[in-house]
Amino acid sequence: MKLATFRGGVHPDDGKSLAKDCPIQVLLPGNELVFPLSQHIGAPAVPVVKKKDTVLMGQRIAEAGGFVSANIVSSVSGVVKNIEPRLTVSGVKVNSIIIENDGNYTPVEGLGAKRDLDSMSKQEILTAVKDAGIVGLGGAGFPTHVKLSPKDPDAIDYIIVNGAECEPYLTADYRLMIEQPEKLVGGLKAMLKLFDNAKGVIAIENNKPDAIASVQKAAAGEERIEVRPLKTKYPQGAERNLIFAVTGRKINSTKLPADAGCIVDNVDTVVSTYMAVAESTPLMRRIFTATGEGIEKPANYEVKIGMSFAEIAEASGGLKEGTTKIIAGGPMMGMAMSSLDVPVGKTNSALLALLKDEAAEYEETACINCGRCVDVCPSRLVPKMMMDAAERFDKESFIALNGMECYECGSCTYACPAKRPLTQGFKQMRQAVMADRRKKK
Amino acid sequence: MDGLFHVSSSPHVRSKDTSASIMFDVAIALVPATIFGIWRFGLYSALILLVAIGFAILSEYMFERLTGQKITIADGSALVTGLLLGLNLPATVPLWIPALGSAFAILFVKQFFGGLGQNFMNPALGARCFLLISFTGLMGNFNVDGVSGATPLAILKSGGNIDVAASFLGMTNGTIGEVSALALIIGGIYLLVRKVITWHIPVIYVCSFAIFEALFAGHGADPRFLLAEIFSGGLMLGAIFMATDYVSCPITKNGKIVYAVLLGVLTGILRTLGPSAEGVSYAIILCNIMVPLIERVTMPKAFGYEKNALQGRQKISMKLYKPAAALVGITAIAGLLLGVVYELTKGPIADAELKAKAAAYAAVCPQASEFEAAQELDEYTASITAADGSVADGQFGRVVYDGNYAGLDENGNVVGYVVNVTTKEGFGGEISISVGMDTEGKTTGLAFLTINETAGLGMNATKESFYTQYVDKQVEEFTLVKGAASADNEISAMSGASVTSQAVTNAVNAALYAVQGLSE
Repeated sequence: MKLATFRGGVHPDDGKSLAKDCPIQVLLPGNELVFPLSQHIGAPAVPVVKKKDTVLMGQRIAEAGGFVSANIVSSVSGVVKNIEPRLTVSGVKVNSIIIENDGNYTPVEGLGAKRDLDSMSKQEILTAVKDAGIVGLGGAGFPTHVKLSPKDPDAIDYIIVNGAECEPYLTADYRLMIEQPEKLVGGLKAMLKLFDNAKGVIAIENNKPDAIASVQKAAAGEERIEVRPLKTKYPQGAERNLIFAVTGRKINSTKLPADAGCIVDNVDTVVSTYMAVAESTPLMRRIFTATGEGIEKPANYEVKIGMSFAEIAEASGGLKEGTTKIIAGGPMMGMAMSSLDVPVGKTNSALLALLKDEAAEYEETACINCGRCVDVCPSRLVPKMMMDAAERFDKESFIALNGMECYECGSCTYACPAKRPLTQGFKQMRQAVMADRRKKK
Repeated sequence: MDGLFHVSSSPHVRSKDTSASIMFDVAIALVPATIFGIWRFGLYSALILLVAIGFAILSEYMFERLTGQKITIADGSALVTGLLLGLNLPATVPLWIPALGSAFAILFVKQFFGGLGQNFMNPALGARCFLLISFTGLMGNFNVDGVSGATPLAILKSGGNIDVAASFLGMTNGTIGEVSALALIIGGIYLLVRKVITWHIPVIYVCSFAIFEALFAGHGADPRFLLAEIFSGGLMLGAIFMATDYVSCPITKNGKIVYAVLLGVLTGILRTLGPSAEGVSYAIILCNIMVPLIERVTMPKAFGYEKNALQGRQKISMKLYKPAAALVGITAIAGLLLGVVYELTKGPIADAELKAKAAAYAAVCPQASEFEAAQELDEYTASITAADGSVADGQFGRVVYDGNYAGLDENGNVVGYVVNVTTKEGFGGEISISVGMDTEGKTTGLAFLTINETAGLGMNATKESFYTQYVDKQVEEFTLVKGAASADNEISAMSGASVTSQAVTNAVNAALYAVQGLSE
């Protein structure tokens, strides 16, 4: 069978060999944990604890602040030190709950209690996911319980588990699929229980044959679950491309996956769902890769949400001399950080340290109209023309060129021989246009 | 960590290709054709290329220096422009031609429009066309020592045959870089492997050109003729290196396809109907001008905005089959109709042509009562026709023999000849003439079989006052004079139609040459 894929995309050096063979190690945090109230798309969570309160591991410390929002759970036991703005990976200060870790990891009552999936109702499953504060752990941070409650559940015919991990360097999902495939399959089964007409597809890029084999073994005998290999290409794991690769359906920025009968969730999200539903364990940890040429000892970790990047870097032997760039996430869509003293949020899957900053290395030259940006754009746009509009700050032309369909995957910028800052220009334009739209409302 | 970390917006990695690396790839791909050209035409051609490259770089440097801009000669684009222009010149031009051409390409076509990326047509071709128009004679001189004869396209245009293999390898005549299709294709493969170009433009260009030629060039789908047309002249150089120039071709994928089809058709039109045998350069710069329009109509639909986008793969592909099937159907029906009409009219047309010819022969050779193929004369005319189609070393211009007939009297004795000659040098295209002679080569009559000259000027050739000048004369060769003729061998040229007068005179002389040569 032809490998499922999409049109466009690029093949950056994948750098995965650095951390790919490092088994997941559990990493315990230091004294202070920081829980920003906005670790998801939607309204910030509202604290339910106050300064000096004692909290237990697994205790809810903030509650969803709206329909599209998510709970936050303490990953340690200790005392609430303060609630104050703290720097996050995005470079802005966000109101955060600070917890002093007592080092005892005293659990709340009932944490870890096994539950039988078969005897649970749909509502019980949804409630477990909502209480656990699970959001899309691939990076978008969309609250999972909202995603699992579409208008018409019977119209959903695909639940796609995103195991593409197409970002270079990252290996967290890969390790998880190798080491805990039964939890992945279990989480998918819990989700499938919610949708009677759906089929589960675990989609994995074909550069991870052992992950494919591992998940296939765990899913053996499951009639409603299929493992689908994908062509290795960036950005195969982007939601729209993944849906297209698996089902042939195409959604644009005005549509939701549910409009195409699909629900897409990242590997770690599905595993976390399993833990919430079957093991009564809310979202307190995530799988995390510390890697890059600038990291002394690349590794994969199970980290406590709220611990700092600096502690992870330290556990990995620190940064090498000459590290010029540190990134939360992968090199294509990750965010460059000015400091390691920021907390790991729910959506942060990696610390990438680079010795070389390729973005600064090349000088921008004149566009020679080579068309590579057009060839690689997965949204089938014409980035060259969009950038010409962006340089004039011409919002009208930018919209007319479907600029708002760009989801900033960075493929055009990667491919551009003139080294134009295309994605950067589009980000700015998109933000300006979205701000205008909000004003009009 | 001392020092600060870099913070910038994603993505944080870049591919290794740069504009300069792409330009140098193009230059590398031109190396086989360049070496072949120098080997074929001699070291002087290397000098032409060096001057072209040197002046391209110098013009770019001077302009940027004088206008206070960043110097961009290191990006290799001036190098490529100079090299391409040089490869598009005959190996005979004086050195000021490449110098002037390169300066024109860089200054007028590129820098005045904003420099790299802003030029609306290919600079090298813009300059070549400028030179072709301004210095037609110099640009059309292909007489290099050791390489003689007309260019293959000129031979094809005048109805001759060429050796396809020689044309493919490059053992023919032409501009420095265009002769060897093989060397150019090797360069093209390098560009494909390096992903500098895709196959779309070159392949579709050549295919649409071949289809146009098969339909309209009058040779049908004769593979020898088609391959000769494809491998000769500037088509390979143009299709692989000029039409694919990033700056002046459409950026959209469908745009590239439309552009390539247009290029093929336009090249076909220019080569078949145009006065010159070549058409690639003009076709490309004309299509360059159409690029904004092509891009406008071929803007891709954004992902997810197609009809039935949510429904999945199958329905979308069904949608594509319909128009494709309709197109194929319409083409097939049109082709079939054309074929039927041709078959039905073929017989009557041939009969009518035969009658017209027989009547013409009788008129020009009145002493004969019957005609038959003149085998001896046929053999003789074949012997004085070179492999490249030229007659008697080209002394009568672009003339071919179209068949000879012997006129017989009632007893079956040969009393004269009719020689059909066609010259390609009429003002309005071909002129075919039947010349009647007695066995000694004295003219007995003359008739026009095909003539499309300007009414009131060249068309006056068909008037008795002009053509009877050739009749009843025993001369070796006619000479054209202005004003009244003073001797038997002098022909008074038609005023205002010297081209036609010369073409007819050459054609008649070719006929005399054949019969007189035979009788000697």
